[in-house]
Amino acid sequence: MKDKTFLVAKDGAVFTYEKLLEEISTVVELPVYCYSSDVFEIFRTILASILAGVDLVLLDYDFTDEELNTLGIDSAIVNERIRIERLDIRDIEDLFESVANSQSWKLTLFTSGTTGVPKKVSHGISNLVRMVRQSERHKHSVWAYAYNPTHIAGVQVFFQALLNCNAIVDVFGLPRDMVLKRIEEYQVTNISATPTFYRMLLPMDRAHPSVKRLTSGGERFDSALAEKILEGFPNAQMRNIYASTEAGSVLESKDDKFTISDPQQCMIRDDKLFIRRSLLGLDSIVDEWYDTGDLVQITDSVKGEFIFVSRANEMINVGGYKANPLEIEEALCSHPSIESARVWGKPNPVVGNILMAEVVCSTLCSEAGIRAYLKDKLQDFKIPRVIDFVESIVTTRSGKIKRG
Amino acid sequence: MDAINTVRTNKGLSIIGSLNPEDSLRADLGFDSLDLAELTVRIEKETGIDVFADSFVNTIGEILEKIKK
Repeated sequence: MKDKTFLVAKDGAVFTYEKLLEEISTVVELPVYCYSSDVFEIFRTILASILAGVDLVLLDYDFTDEELNTLGIDSAIVNERIRIERLDIRDIEDLFESVANSQSWKLTLFTSGTTGVPKKVSHGISNLVRMVRQSERHKHSVWAYAYNPTHIAGVQVFFQALLNCNAIVDVFGLPRDMVLKRIEEYQVTNISATPTFYRMLLPMDRAHPSVKRLTSGGERFDSALAEKILEGFPNAQMRNIYASTEAGSVLESKDDKFTISDPQQCMIRDDKLFIRRSLLGLDSIVDEWYDTGDLVQITDSVKGEFIFVSRANEMINVGGYKANPLEIEEALCSHPSIESARVWGKPNPVVGNILMAEVVCSTLCSEAGIRAYLKDKLQDFKIPRVIDFVESIVTTRSGKIKRG
Repeated sequence: MDAINTVRTNKGLSIIGSLNPEDSLRADLGFDSLDLAELTVRIEKETGIDVFADSFVNTIGEILEKIKK
């Protein structure tokens, strides 16, 4: 049990569960902000903070100083640490028990807010492990880890794997050939990823029989893609998850049609999905309904089946990442030569939506130059991939920038 | 060709002089999903054709094939 693999890191380094316990017991100080590119370090920090009862904030490692400032985090305090007593864990069961009993601990993540400033969402452990399934069958799963570990989906997959003592094989951001090689080499059984990740695995030129379960989330489900992907995973079943940073995973389905399994938790009113506030982060425990802003369309009223039509807010979903056009326009306009800017999402077959921009410049600028400028200000996925130079920006009749 | 080099320049990679039909967009040219997305927009701008519209393309040859049609 102890020598079971816990994590195969991006660089190929292998960590066992024994090593994980050993490394946790050497921790003498904890960061308030987890701001690391090292996946093992992130997992260890999450667990150590649970055991020590110290709340933790997860930050994307590619946040720029400027983005941190917007979040109200001074880049100087990002590396601040708190000293703790040495953690005493006997074995893995002991660790699981501590995780289950850590009722007061909370984990804070950031989600793209509608106003331009990312929103803080805090979760207690019960919310993070709500969808975790534990059973004899789950004990033998091997996970291809295809999410950012600092995002809600990554945290949920981490707990699902951990609490079943499964191996986690990191494939996030790896090129296609390497991902497929790792699936083969470690006999991966479960993959949880965005449609964009699956799309990048095409073409499926050989079968990977070890994979039993594929999960798709973060972006609109693509049935044609699912069909093609399943050719390469002949023993796998695909399921589609509806989730948000505010609530984590909420609904599950085999395709793009969902039904409400628990009317206590979700309901549809005026063609919109509402979820119980108690499912949300800790800051809202009121027993009321929360408007997700996600528009649905009933496809079968007898069975209660519905599909998601669109999200009501202005976030642009780029390969599962939510980009806020206002934040990007603001960054563009901070360029000394740019007078005004418009950012919108253009539907794209590879990543769902691609960011496009139009800018009005007072002096001669190049697309590559503007991209380089934005690199210090924004995470890579927020940088518009096509920038056009125009004389003026089209606005709507109410004077707002037109986005479509 | 121009479209490919624009994507490479924006990415901070060197310009390439020649392309082979067998070249893989991801393995040989080093494109990730966002680069491929950008490439589709640039090709569509020049030719009016969405090369990814009905199937995923992997090589330069497959793009040329679709543009010719």
